[in-house]
Amino acid sequence: MTTKNKHPDIIFLGQPNCGKSALFNAIAGLKVDTSNFPGTTVKHTHSEVNVAGNVLNIIDLPGTYSLNPSDDTEKVALSHLFFHKPDLIINVVDASILGRSLELTQELIELGYPMVIALNMMDLAEKKGVKTDIQKLERLLGVPVIPTIAIHGRGIKKLLDKALQVLAEVKPIPPLKWTRDVENKIEEFERAIPDDFPVVGNRRFTAIKILEVGKRFFIQTLETMNPDLKKARDKVRSDLEKMHGVPAYEVIAAERHHLAAKIFEDSSEVVRVKMIPFLERVDDIIMHPFLGYVILIAVFLAFFFIIFQVGNPLEELLLKPIGDLRYYLSAQLGASILFYLLDGLLQGIGGGLAIVLPYFLPLLFLMSFLEDIGYMSRASFLMDTFMHRIGLHGKSVSPFILGFGCNVPAIISTRILESRRDKIITILLIPFVPCTARTTIILALVAFYLGPFWALGFYVLNILLLGVLGRIISFFYKKPSPGLILEIPTLKVPSLKNIWKKTYFQLKAFVKFAWPVLIAGSIVLGVMQFFHMDRVINAILSPLVAKALGLPQELGVTLVFGFLRKELSLIMMLQALGVDYHNLMSVITKQQLIVFTVFVSFFIPCLSTVAIIWKEVGKKIAFISMALNIAVAVILSIMIRAFLSLS
Amino acid sequence: MIRLTDAPIDKQLKVVSIHGGHGIRRKLLSLGFHKDDIIELDSRSIFRGPILVKGLTSDTSVALGRGIARNILVEIVDDKK
Repeated sequence: MTTKNKHPDIIFLGQPNCGKSALFNAIAGLKVDTSNFPGTTVKHTHSEVNVAGNVLNIIDLPGTYSLNPSDDTEKVALSHLFFHKPDLIINVVDASILGRSLELTQELIELGYPMVIALNMMDLAEKKGVKTDIQKLERLLGVPVIPTIAIHGRGIKKLLDKALQVLAEVKPIPPLKWTRDVENKIEEFERAIPDDFPVVGNRRFTAIKILEVGKRFFIQTLETMNPDLKKARDKVRSDLEKMHGVPAYEVIAAERHHLAAKIFEDSSEVVRVKMIPFLERVDDIIMHPFLGYVILIAVFLAFFFIIFQVGNPLEELLLKPIGDLRYYLSAQLGASILFYLLDGLLQGIGGGLAIVLPYFLPLLFLMSFLEDIGYMSRASFLMDTFMHRIGLHGKSVSPFILGFGCNVPAIISTRILESRRDKIITILLIPFVPCTARTTIILALVAFYLGPFWALGFYVLNILLLGVLGRIISFFYKKPSPGLILEIPTLKVPSLKNIWKKTYFQLKAFVKFAWPVLIAGSIVLGVMQFFHMDRVINAILSPLVAKALGLPQELGVTLVFGFLRKELSLIMMLQALGVDYHNLMSVITKQQLIVFTVFVSFFIPCLSTVAIIWKEVGKKIAFISMALNIAVAVILSIMIRAFLSLS
Repeated sequence: MIRLTDAPIDKQLKVVSIHGGHGIRRKLLSLGFHKDDIIELDSRSIFRGPILVKGLTSDTSVALGRGIARNILVEIVDDKK
């Protein structure tokens, strides 16, 4: 894939939860250089490692169940595989669920690239009573198989030696054949593919993929580019369908399924030990219809408690020097344009560094931990019922939780959702999840001046709002959500390295994408201040700010342009009112404080959030999202004001 | 033949047919959930929204929303087998 060097590219590919990343990390430990993948998802890593004097370019792709992608993360993995031919594939296979895992392995064999199988999690397989005859498996598949236990670093040297050997040999992999009648049909179609057709892998693989793929876009392209091929495809498809009574893709999937089951049976012996009883018992408790929810609530209370315990002192520690530097700049430069520019820059950098990171980092870490032990999928299972009430399903839970840290990676993580409908609803709701920037405002204003119960009430209101909005948005969709399909993996001991790596990449996405936008917005705001545009804007916004919301007119810029520097709304507010934090209540009332917090919390969260929505799902949804946030902030603030005036 | 949502707990079931959109069927196939597979409803599924299915053929656990489970038809495998 890289043009920089000619080191062989080795791709790591496997189904989700097969321990692929742990294996990759164990090998990347020998690294020369690690870097993020340019322009693609946060989950792509590429690393250069040195194995016995050979520099290898190893690439970790997101887990995928098959080579027929069903969600956006899988699409990313596959487009990489198809567009940048690797020199070798290391197919990581979970030995404890060998039967199913071999379905992806077969697809890779069809692809025909040089390949080595890492039969991982041998320890778990053994505990489950699965005994695999490695030599026999190798013979049946025609591909070298190396047993590994990635988290203990076992088998890694052998795997790399084998990888080097296969790279040197470049031996073609013989295809695994299916039932005669299906094979005949595939051969028939293979012959219809013209010689100048852009073949991926080999002709058989290309033929199978064209028969399998269901994308309307693809079929239309095929029709205009090569109508004869389209006709041949339709014929073979309908023949297969007539022969077996199910769509062609199901015929092919069933062939793989049966062959996988057969290879598994022939190579492995299963002594049913009825799973590991201890983990089974743990699962009984954490997924219990009553206890499960008690534990879920406890886990998330602890989750947020830890985040704030870690984040708060860090924030104070980091905020102080930035404040000092600001005073210093102000004293040195006076009210010059340079000061406003530098101040904008400093506040942009400082806001990200001192307010977002202290909370976001522990949140990412804990979340990766919960994901790795297998609790997140169980939480999704438990929350599914509630999510259904707002027109979504359990898989949207983890983007929402991520949203409490920062909305930007939360929106990126909606790629795990298969249906576009679910994705858009989740994306429209995420901006209403209070991120760390907004939480610090809620804590500093509501919790500090009115007491913790008010803050708690605020959160309850916020969650209710999410529910109501979810219902309203899903009302616009005729079709209901397709529903939850989620694998519940076995509970696992997490690997610290893996958790760090996940945390690091999520963080990198924030630093690379959100931070520059944050800084740019902040500089714009600094320039606006220099030209005293704030006064003009305040005057224009006065009907909304003073009349409708009953707030001091000076807060206009803070409220409406706050989205350029949301994490500093509190400081902007104090500056606009010309008071310090401890004297705040001398200039505004409790009611104004609440209305302000409500407005700031539900208004457009920040420029980066809008930008990432635009990037992920397009301009239209980005505008709808902004309009929704503006409408909710205005309406809700006015309602709250009216309600507070009554009491 | 019964719907998966009406199937008894902890009895072996055979998948007879999977209905619903192609997207869902493809997803189920890729998770190793096929026609003629032997599956089992997990007891943890009772009183719940989603149900928990253990695929005995592929040895995996999958959570399915009710809407999807309703579209999967199964039959009870004879216990004596």
